[in-house]
Amino acid sequence: MKFTVIKNIQKNSPMSLILRGFLLFILIYLISDIFVLKSSFGITFDGVNSTLFGNEELYIDAINEASFLEFWHTQIFFIMMILLTLSSIFIRVASMGRVILTNTLMLSAIISLISLPLAFYLSDFFTNIYVITYHLWHIIALIMILYALWKFNAASV
Amino acid sequence: MQQAYKLSIFYFLVFSLLLIVSAVMLFEHKIGFSYNSVLEYYIGNEDKFIPAQSASGILKIVLPHVFVFGLFAMVLLHFLVFTEFKAKKAFLILIYATFIATFLEIFAPFMIVSGWSFFAYIKLFSFFIFLALILFTLWLLFRKIR
Repeated sequence: MKFTVIKNIQKNSPMSLILRGFLLFILIYLISDIFVLKSSFGITFDGVNSTLFGNEELYIDAINEASFLEFWHTQIFFIMMILLTLSSIFIRVASMGRVILTNTLMLSAIISLISLPLAFYLSDFFTNIYVITYHLWHIIALIMILYALWKFNAASV
Repeated sequence: MQQAYKLSIFYFLVFSLLLIVSAVMLFEHKIGFSYNSVLEYYIGNEDKFIPAQSASGILKIVLPHVFVFGLFAMVLLHFLVFTEFKAKKAFLILIYATFIATFLEIFAPFMIVSGWSFFAYIKLFSFFIFLALILFTLWLLFRKIR
């Protein structure tokens, strides 16, 4: 987290290069995450509902509670680490809208993570909230990554 | 500390609370919070058709947790360096206690499957101590960034 205390981070070429590389990897991770979840847990209302509650027509069994809790637990850890580092970098390079974007990103990610067990234990209504907020935080994270990369590139030219 | 960084840290603390909730639910569901349920989970119970865990099976679960617990404790505790709490001796005690509780929580299962049933208590005790220390750290940080 040394980048949080370096003055004028965009002009510091080694740190700028390291962070650009890191942002690129977060970008790849988030895009890969969408494809992996699409083929496993689901990223649509029907897909997630089939995973959580099963689907007789498609012969899909509902996920068991232990597997669900393990999935939820690991998702929380990965998302918290990724969003902490991403938001810390974004805050250093962004001049306008950083508070609004960071709040929207974090709140949508937290709501998506909270709605997941609510969907599993309470009602499939929360699946809708999960899917919407899942896509929302991914889109905002992608915007933040691309904006930060653009700012780093603009400063290095 | 920049005002905007407090935002990132605040949300990290919220995520940490969620992580703790999920860890407690997972522990309760898979192992249970009694001495007997911990023993049954690790050394099995023929009457209940619970298979015993092997040392290699435990190692597979332990492996990612060693890294994750260490990283999580490091990230959370290092935020305290930015507070006035860093100058206090209690900070050192908190650091030692967190890492020791984490170590015991992770490695107690190896002792249980080796025949040291007493370590079922150590497993439970270290889990709750770890949670308490993390919650205490979260509380200190919440107070600071408020």
